[in-house]
Amino acid sequence: MNPPPEPNLQQLLAATARGDHQAFEQVYHRTHAHLFGVALRMLGREQAAEDVLQEAFVSVWRNAGQYRSQVEGQEIQPMTWLIAIVRNRALDTLRSAAWRREAPAREADGDDEGASPPGDATPSALELFARASDALRLQDCLRGLDGTHRQSLALAYYQGLSHREVAAQMRAPLGSVKAWVRRGLEKLRHCLSPGEPP
Amino acid sequence: MRYSDPRLVQHLAAAYVLGTLGGGARRRFHRLLRQRPDLALAVAQWEGRLGRLASVVPPATPSPRVWEAIAARTRPAAPTLPESAPRATRGWRWLPGVAAFGAGAAVAMALWLTLPGLLVTPDQVAMRTGERLPQSYVGLLTDAGGDGKLLVSSLRHGRTLVVKAIGPMPAPATGRQLVLWAVPGNGPPFALGTAPASGSAQSQLPDTSERLLAKVTKLVVTEEAAGALPAMPGVPLYTGNCAKLW
Repeated sequence: MNPPPEPNLQQLLAATARGDHQAFEQVYHRTHAHLFGVALRMLGREQAAEDVLQEAFVSVWRNAGQYRSQVEGQEIQPMTWLIAIVRNRALDTLRSAAWRREAPAREADGDDEGASPPGDATPSALELFARASDALRLQDCLRGLDGTHRQSLALAYYQGLSHREVAAQMRAPLGSVKAWVRRGLEKLRHCLSPGEPP
Repeated sequence: MRYSDPRLVQHLAAAYVLGTLGGGARRRFHRLLRQRPDLALAVAQWEGRLGRLASVVPPATPSPRVWEAIAARTRPAAPTLPESAPRATRGWRWLPGVAAFGAGAAVAMALWLTLPGLLVTPDQVAMRTGERLPQSYVGLLTDAGGDGKLLVSSLRHGRTLVVKAIGPMPAPATGRQLVLWAVPGNGPPFALGTAPASGSAQSQLPDTSERLLAKVTKLVVTEEAAGALPAMPGVPLYTGNCAKLW
């Protein structure tokens, strides 16, 4: 007899919503490394990223019942839902007054790129964007997108930078950055039809 | 801002998901999501699109403390019990079924496990946390017209019986008393003690309720001559079922 198939993330989230703590632990086990990577890339500090991961999973435990595999006919992958929770938590931290207050201290620690992750081998936001374009086979579609557009979009997405922070990092006028990000998003929308398997 | 233009909805949803929607606008948009399915849909679509960009972010391993902290904040309760816990088996058997136990209960359980002599029983834990009523035997005795007159309660593993008058009753004549009887399903009735005609009275039982009342199905109050309790009940004044509250 074949062993029963492993439950998928969707089933585990459904069980979590019913209060099954073992299913919840499985969700953590399967997704935490990827989600921690996302948080760490945005926050650049392990402790802050761990705090975000913790808050995100406590929120998953409490709100697992809110996960819907479809919203208005649009299919939602469990991982997409989890990434959105982690990113929103990380954005809350990045935009918090406390985080901004501590920014000079972080830079004084020798972390002179602010929100950049530790380690030399870490790919830059722009490199990640290029890898994603490859992985998603978007190179052709994104060919028309200017380098400044890519970079501003990549800094906003992977590092969670605000318009103002992107402008400071790229030494570009705020108005231009806003236009680049907006143009980049429009282009992405055309290239990535929703619901299409990767 | 009314957010009614579909292009504006797309733009705001994209900026919200990306994280570039500034301070106040981000909070306003977040609040609107609950009320506006069109915004929720646009956000879900953008989360789907941008979420795919995250697939190339290198995974990383957080400290094991993260899961420990999450588990401590989310685990419903019910620690696994050491086999050797004295006196524990009987009283604890029902515990794993109690799903939602609060942190207060966990603390009390820990206290009880480490200091069994402090006599924090599961019933007391349950009562203190307000999560449930303690395991008890209870009975509501009514008169022939169905009006509630007496409430009888006793903790399952306790030896204290509380009888409370809940409706007006004529006081027994001088030299008479109200007597509470237990009627087992398969044996002769036996007296539990006296019952008050007003207020409440507490008495000690010769054994635990569990041993005395496990097979009792009915409770009866009769009026008897004051003094020693008679061997058999007279005419029932008030009657009720004896129920297990667990």
